[in-house]
Amino acid sequence: MSLEEPSPDAGAIEAVPQTADELADLLGDRVLDREEHVNAPGFVVRPDEVQDVLFTLRDEAGYDHLSCVTAQEYEDRYESIYHLKKYDDPTDEVSVVVPTPSDAPVSQTAEPVYRTADWHEREAYDLVGIDYDDHPDLRRILLPETWQGHPLSRDYDQSRPQVVALREHANPLQEDQRAGDGDTMFLNIGPHHPATHGVLHVKATLDGEQIADLESDIGYLHRCEEQMCQQGTYRHQIMPYPDRWDYISAGILNEWAYARAAEDLADLEVPEYAQVIRTMSAELCRIASHMLAVGTFALDVYGDFTAIFMYAVRDREKVQNILEDLTGQRLMFNYLRLGGVVWDLPEPREEFFEKIRDFLDDLPESLEEYHDLITSNEILQSRTVGTGVLPPEVAKSYGATGPVARGSGIDYDLRRDDPYGYYDELDWDVITDDGCDNFSRLFVRLREVEESAKIIEQCVDILEDWPEDERTIQSNVPRTLKPEADKEIYRAVEAAKGELGIYIRSDGTDKPGRFKIRSPCFSNLQTLPEMSEGEYVPDMIASLGSLDIVLGEVDR
Amino acid sequence: MPVPLQATGTATPTGTAANGTAGAAPPSAPLADAISGLLGGGLLGDVVGALLGAFLIANLMLIMTAVAGPWAKRKITAAFTDRIAVNRIGPFGLLIIVADAVRLLSKELVIPDGADRPAFDIAPIVLPFSALLGFAVIPMGNGIHLADPETGLVFAFAASSIASLGLIMAGYASNNKYSLLGGLRSIAQNLAYEIPLVITAASVVIFTGTLQMSGIVAQQTETLINVGGIRIPQWFAFVNPFAFVLFLAANMAEIGRNPFDIPEAPTEIVAGYQTEYGSVYFVLFYLGEFIHIFLGGAIMATLFLGGPAGPILPGFLWFIIKIWAFFLFTQWARSAIPRVRIDQLIEIGWKGMLVLSFANLVLTAIIVGVIA
Repeated sequence: MSLEEPSPDAGAIEAVPQTADELADLLGDRVLDREEHVNAPGFVVRPDEVQDVLFTLRDEAGYDHLSCVTAQEYEDRYESIYHLKKYDDPTDEVSVVVPTPSDAPVSQTAEPVYRTADWHEREAYDLVGIDYDDHPDLRRILLPETWQGHPLSRDYDQSRPQVVALREHANPLQEDQRAGDGDTMFLNIGPHHPATHGVLHVKATLDGEQIADLESDIGYLHRCEEQMCQQGTYRHQIMPYPDRWDYISAGILNEWAYARAAEDLADLEVPEYAQVIRTMSAELCRIASHMLAVGTFALDVYGDFTAIFMYAVRDREKVQNILEDLTGQRLMFNYLRLGGVVWDLPEPREEFFEKIRDFLDDLPESLEEYHDLITSNEILQSRTVGTGVLPPEVAKSYGATGPVARGSGIDYDLRRDDPYGYYDELDWDVITDDGCDNFSRLFVRLREVEESAKIIEQCVDILEDWPEDERTIQSNVPRTLKPEADKEIYRAVEAAKGELGIYIRSDGTDKPGRFKIRSPCFSNLQTLPEMSEGEYVPDMIASLGSLDIVLGEVDR
Repeated sequence: MPVPLQATGTATPTGTAANGTAGAAPPSAPLADAISGLLGGGLLGDVVGALLGAFLIANLMLIMTAVAGPWAKRKITAAFTDRIAVNRIGPFGLLIIVADAVRLLSKELVIPDGADRPAFDIAPIVLPFSALLGFAVIPMGNGIHLADPETGLVFAFAASSIASLGLIMAGYASNNKYSLLGGLRSIAQNLAYEIPLVITAASVVIFTGTLQMSGIVAQQTETLINVGGIRIPQWFAFVNPFAFVLFLAANMAEIGRNPFDIPEAPTEIVAGYQTEYGSVYFVLFYLGEFIHIFLGGAIMATLFLGGPAGPILPGFLWFIIKIWAFFLFTQWARSAIPRVRIDQLIEIGWKGMLVLSFANLVLTAIIVGVIA
């Protein structure tokens, strides 16, 4: 079976390859070698057959989700890994490993297969230095365009600081007219703009008030998080960093991404009690994060600091108070540990539970308030319904996840589809809405808050009845973790914004050999031009708000 | 009383005593004439009276703006959003007005590169003065009425729409694309809304048969109906509530407040036409906007709410209450109503409000014609 001869009969389509061996058969002699990653089988393919292989895997094996592209440099070669998943079943994973020689790191681009590869490969080029052949727009994405060298490559001189002065950047005030005929106007939206939610720079070409062309310029908040994680030890030094990716109070969700990847890598057990606490605190974070998303979205559509924003912040504040009681922190929680959590619930426990229950009791009422003010408001509906449309096929191609994907009717939630923590023991639903527009994404978030509340309530019930002598908060984890060399894992959790994945390759030391973060915002933000082209500026702003990006996570 | 110019100055001290009571007696006399009468009349008296009257009314408006801008707006918005707002300086934080004034005026006045001067400098002056000009013909009760020309209503609209000129000047002179977008938006918006606004006001004129503000107010003092001994006056908001609502909506667009604050739209085009303005120029814009809101409220009060009429309290107080009620309404809308998109606004204006306002006009004309 090859790409040129797609099997015409329905019977063959049903027989989608399941096991690694079947996939190997499907790919035939395009597989040079097989690898075993902890999460998935890996197939080594030639750099000039990348598209061919990915097309086959996408169209004939159903791997429609390019979750992440990891690039790294070994002593003797460069390597790009395409982490593929299925939207229907994210546990069905496969890695396509593309080695390229050190002296000529040129690999075929995957962009025609998965649109999301565009940015992922640009990042790989920027940080590691792999050239992607036929890539439509291979430029630096996170670092300034005048940067010298590729920071994650082996010959990069880390000791030489590079200062890129403002004058070395492209001058945004020059060359205003694009498209020659002068009917359009080029407009820089950001990096300092009230609605970009951080330092995002959107280069917009306007035709009147409508968006003719749009390009996001990111990287203003790049802090070398991957590199910092590679320089920290598994046991303690990495855990504080995830709090700083999606810093909008989604800290514990992010920490869980690292915890899950590292625990699976090092075969650590997590006590059930700790899993319940993790689940509860993570959902609290999700509520806090969604509250802010709803509030700022309202801000974008309403204009000034309005009641909804303040109400949302008020409710978020309650969650933060609970999280502060639990973790001692309001933003940078650093609460999870490999093998559990750092400490037990605060004493007196009854008081803590009561505080959570009070919050949960008030929540339906305040959600009603939001629905009154936002979703049932006719002006808001006329502003958001049918604008910023992201069809499910496009969303999948861009690797959109989280509320963005669920607002496009894609029933995809790692908490249910790739269960971790205590989620599969609890009773809750995945919210989807097939409106595909700004309104759907807003609506999904509001409904997800309800579901998170359900989860928290059940967790509180469980924790209340937990026998006192069985409250193990951490399993027995060695002081120094040294996973065996060349073990590779890619694990993701459902963070507030979507699928937050971590790729770790161990090199036998107590620090990761390669640490790659798959940021949901990074992939989601890529869909902005699809949603906004042809729309009015205000709708583009609303779409941006509905994507709920955090630049700390986009730029890492 | 043709008194030679040089003689007026000397005649004033005696003239004041003689004419003092007589000049102030009829409450409907315009303020300028009253002052002129106090001063003994004559050309100089007229000039000084006009200037002094204008000075008083302008200052009254500026004081109201000063209270509204830095203090009342914050307090009202805070009340809508569960906050406390300014409460540190002075009683109820009132002295924040002083602090804010000093802060704003002491900032550096930055003129952007490539700004088109003097348009850039004139724009912030045009805006507040156009709004202040409109107050010249507004009867505020207790004889506070600067001028009462026969074309009073038309003058008020004409004066207030000069503001558009200021906005477009600010928009293109700032050499900033956001400003340009804001300026263009404000023109599109004003075109779409001024026509329904004036047409709706014309339906009131059909009732009154005069454009003179005092005539419009006088007409509304008549009794509409007596309900259990309580006399309901013939306010046009009661006579034609449909026109009132229409006018209210168009007025919100005219003064550019939510849901029609599209020319500013902070989250879309930063601050629209005023993006590049700071320091004194910004203060002038800010003043202008607030005076504009008050002028909008004043025109509404005069046309639909009986002007300064009201029970117990003096007319002037009622007038102030009415325009503050309108201000409160704009702040309420600001906190609770999302902004519409520019194309939706144009659609509402041209396809909705224009048709409705003409329907209202024709219906009113027919009804008035049949009854009369």
